[in-house]
Amino acid sequence: MFKQRIIYRLFLILLIFALILIIPFSLTIRKEVKNMITEEEETVAPSPIEKSIHDKFSERFTDSIIVFSFYTFVFAFLLSLFFSKNLLRPIKELYRGAKALKEGNLGVRLEISTEDELGEVTKTFNEMAASLEKKTEELKKKELYLSAMMDPLWVVDENDMITDINPAFTKLFGYGRDEIIGASIYDFLDEENARIMKYQLEEREKGISSIYEISIIAKNGSSIPVLITGAPLIKEGLTTEKIGILKDFRKEHELRDAIRESRDYLENIMDSIEDELLVVDREYKIIMANKAVKSRKGEGVIGDYCYSISHEMAAPCWYEERDCPAKRVFETGRIFRTVHQHKGAAGKRVFHEIVACPIKDSKGNVMHVIELMRDVTERREYEENIAQKNKELTAINSIASILSKSLRAEDIFGSVLDKLLEMLNMDGGGIYLLDEMSRELVCAYHKGISEDFVKVAGRMRMGEDIPGRVATTGQVITSPDIGADQRVERSILKHSGIKGYCCIPIKGKEKIVGVFCLFSFRTHIFTSEEERLMTSIGEMTGIAIENIRLYEKMRQLYEYQRQRRVDDHKNLLSLSSILAAALDIKAVMNSTLDLIKGFFRADLVWLLERDNENLILKADSGLNIKEGEIIYQKGTSSIEWYAVEKKEPIIVPAFSSEARFYMSNYISSNYRSAVCIPVYVGEKALGAFTLYFAVPKEPKEDDIHFLQIVSSILAVAIERSELYGKTLLERERSETILQSISDGIMTVDTKCRVISMNKAAADMIGIAQEKAAGNQCCEIFNYTDENTDFRWSLGTCLDKALEKEPANIEAELTTINGKKLSVMISSSPVMNSRGEVSGVVNVLRNITREKEIDRMKTEFVRVVSHQFRTPLSAIVGMTEMVINEDIKGAKTKEYLKTVLSEGTRLSEMVSELLNIARIESGKEVFREEEIDFSLLFDDTKRLFSNAMEKKKGKLTTFIEGDVSGFKGDKERLFQVIKNLTDNSIIYSDEGCDIRITISRKDDSIELKVSDNGWGIPDEDIAHLTERFYRGKYGQEVKGTGLGLALCKEIVTRYSGSMSFDSKIGRGTTVTVTLPYRRRT
Amino acid sequence: MSKVMIIDDEPFILMMIEDKLKKAGIKVITLRESVNAISAVKDEKPDLIILDWMMPELSGIDLCKMLKSDPDTAEIPIFMLTAKGQEADEQLGIKCGVARYITKPFSPKALLSIVEETIGKQ
Repeated sequence: MFKQRIIYRLFLILLIFALILIIPFSLTIRKEVKNMITEEEETVAPSPIEKSIHDKFSERFTDSIIVFSFYTFVFAFLLSLFFSKNLLRPIKELYRGAKALKEGNLGVRLEISTEDELGEVTKTFNEMAASLEKKTEELKKKELYLSAMMDPLWVVDENDMITDINPAFTKLFGYGRDEIIGASIYDFLDEENARIMKYQLEEREKGISSIYEISIIAKNGSSIPVLITGAPLIKEGLTTEKIGILKDFRKEHELRDAIRESRDYLENIMDSIEDELLVVDREYKIIMANKAVKSRKGEGVIGDYCYSISHEMAAPCWYEERDCPAKRVFETGRIFRTVHQHKGAAGKRVFHEIVACPIKDSKGNVMHVIELMRDVTERREYEENIAQKNKELTAINSIASILSKSLRAEDIFGSVLDKLLEMLNMDGGGIYLLDEMSRELVCAYHKGISEDFVKVAGRMRMGEDIPGRVATTGQVITSPDIGADQRVERSILKHSGIKGYCCIPIKGKEKIVGVFCLFSFRTHIFTSEEERLMTSIGEMTGIAIENIRLYEKMRQLYEYQRQRRVDDHKNLLSLSSILAAALDIKAVMNSTLDLIKGFFRADLVWLLERDNENLILKADSGLNIKEGEIIYQKGTSSIEWYAVEKKEPIIVPAFSSEARFYMSNYISSNYRSAVCIPVYVGEKALGAFTLYFAVPKEPKEDDIHFLQIVSSILAVAIERSELYGKTLLERERSETILQSISDGIMTVDTKCRVISMNKAAADMIGIAQEKAAGNQCCEIFNYTDENTDFRWSLGTCLDKALEKEPANIEAELTTINGKKLSVMISSSPVMNSRGEVSGVVNVLRNITREKEIDRMKTEFVRVVSHQFRTPLSAIVGMTEMVINEDIKGAKTKEYLKTVLSEGTRLSEMVSELLNIARIESGKEVFREEEIDFSLLFDDTKRLFSNAMEKKKGKLTTFIEGDVSGFKGDKERLFQVIKNLTDNSIIYSDEGCDIRITISRKDDSIELKVSDNGWGIPDEDIAHLTERFYRGKYGQEVKGTGLGLALCKEIVTRYSGSMSFDSKIGRGTTVTVTLPYRRRT
Repeated sequence: MSKVMIIDDEPFILMMIEDKLKKAGIKVITLRESVNAISAVKDEKPDLIILDWMMPELSGIDLCKMLKSDPDTAEIPIFMLTAKGQEADEQLGIKCGVARYITKPFSPKALLSIVEETIGKQ
């Protein structure tokens, strides 16, 4: 019991301690006290009482000791209880924790209740528990990984004993864990594999990891191939164990076997192919080759480069820009075919037809290329042979074609020589042609020869050198090496450096026309076939040259004929164009006849016109007779009359044999022959023209035909010219009428393009007549946007007129100068003979003045009516009141006086209007009396004295210079001064300053009336003298608008002038100039 | 008693209308110049104003506009008595607030009846 519980032990310790301490202590005290009593009794005899007390002391003391011991015991028990509780709690806790760990609860953590050693122990316990938990977790994970691994795994110790495996191992090999742990790994390997394993384990010992393949005997006895990834487990720098991850390699093995099989099979197939077959990798290394290749190139081809095998080259063939099939397949991934020339046995060239195919991996990348090479040398040679033959044939064909097509010697020489050089693979040559005159061969074309050599050997006599010999004999000479040729020791070619040489005769139909010479700087053995070919080409060329010469002759002949035709046509054309362009036939007739004369080499040409009964001279070339002269009268037997009447050409090859014709005295009788062509239009004979020759001449049919054409052209021209003359006259007449019309006239075609415009229209618009022609009618006016309405109106009129309906619209036109005009547009259709509208005539009538007059009339009526209304009010109103007896007594008289004065005012106004009308009409007779201006000014001042007083103004008059002797109508001049002064007063404010000045200016007098009044707005100044015109300020004051109009009329009658100078707010000066001498 | 103010630069027009209206028992105030008319109108507070259009310095139509734009005088009816007989002029007058547009020459009797009618309405 005490062994199990610390508390008990502690209790016991305390108890023993109490017993050991208390009992001896009590016994010692009891002994010492007894000794003390004994000693005291020995000194002093005790009384009995004292003796009994002393005797009883031991007993009492023992009793006390017992009680004390009991209490001590109890106290010790309680104390042990207290200490043990405090001490035991952490220990108990530790115990609990340890127990929990034991039970696997790694998450247990203890409460640290004290800070003493026990607390430290508890803390360490907690850390230990945490570390343990972490490690355990890691272990668990590792365990999990190992179990989860698909691949088997074993761990082998330093003695090659298996210490651990994973479940996958068991699954693959069938061995249980218990069966295999502790077993040697060599137990599961055969001899060969054991050797490998041993080697590998030694490697592991060195700390080296590796992957290797091995077969392990499974539990069922089968051998399973595995791929082992081995790695050493190193602890403290020493390899303790080795771990091996085994990968099941059975599938791979099978696959490998299958590959091996298929490879063998493939090699068999490859070897059975007669053609050579190579497989090259991306580095152009041969990785496979069939027997055919190996037999040709030996067994060592594998691993060698394809270019080294095929072309015996150190670098890929495509470096030299050859068409490498392997490269093409690597680049394109597609099958490629080509033919390569390879070196065969003994350096013999071998042609291989190569078919290169790609071998692709699963991603489609070309990994290898198979090249199948078939020996096509034989075929190739055969083809080349055919090609050569073809080439020759083509050359012959093309030469034949050149010879037959081209007719230019230079062309064919060049082409034929080129073809020959190409065909025979020669370096140059030349063509010598035989000059019939000098009997020399002359170099006509050469190629590949220097000009210097041509200078030396460019001409050769017949028989000289090889060409001369060939030209003489007509036999081909060929030499494979001219330098070594014994036959031609003296030839110039001997030491020229050339070797292969041939000279071919160019044979015409009967004779040799030249030779071809061809040379080569190499030895050239000419085959008999080539010689034959060259001979035939020489013959073909000869015939061609003859043809060319023949053609050349023909061509010259033809050219002559053609030129003749061209001249004929040119002359006709020039004639017809002269006549067609000429409107005045007379101006060109002579030159036409000159042309005919020159062309036919005639000595005289004249044109006679039929005028009533005579033939008169119209034009001539070679005579000096006046136009219109009568050459032959009717009935004269001249050839012209014959021609005119018969309407056919008359040809007199010789007058000597044609005595019937009479010849005019105007012409020389020396003319020996003549041709006369009638000139007529339809049935109408206009006359005839005649060509006279001083020699006997009979023109050909062509010439007559040509002359007849000339005659027709002349006839038409004459007729047209006359018609044009008439038309011109007619047109001039209408143009004159058109231009003289004061209204603007504009004619347009059906597309509204201006045909013509008269001067009035041009003046009105402000643009030149020529500029308008051809333009769209409405577009002429688009120089300003203000004409938009005008153009619309004009367009409307045009549209109506084009519909055969005349139209009139009034519109405002802004001229190019910005002036505004009121225009009446009148458009009328122009009809042709078929009744169709062929154009429109637009009349633009300037109605500005009429409009203005109209406006002025309206204004007149308005003003007059207004001015009449006020006096009429007095007359009407007051009369009514008098009649109604609203007014009685003296007032009645006053009323009647007013009626009278207002009636008079009305009457004056009427008189003023009549005055103007009269002056304007010129019916008014002005008196001629000398004017005394000082008297006139006095009257003026008197007249306006009241008004000036009212305005609180000043009226001053000045006379400057000698104004005497001026004659005129005093009343009228006074009227001018009065009206101007009245205006100045009316249009001025209070305090006005009005000055009237009369002065002498040369032959005139100048009257100036100036004020400091309101001034006149600029826009009013131009209209001031118009009748009834009331300016801006005139609206607010009374007046007739007749004052200045009347002044103007008077001044005009005196041939004078009137001008206004005014500034708003500053005042106005009116200047009237009147000449001393006047028109009567 | 009703009060009518007449403004015209023609003395005989003033005299004629004054005589006619006075006889009918209407008090008449006449003015020959339009420039001081506004203060006179404000002083006299007439029941009706008869205005001539064509007057120097300040035209009748401008005076009418001024009176109509002044709250003190805006309510007073205005007759325009003028020689401007065109329709456009009448339109302008009506637009400016003229109550009646009377063209010269006119009948004093007819004018009186219109005046009485207008005053009576008030």
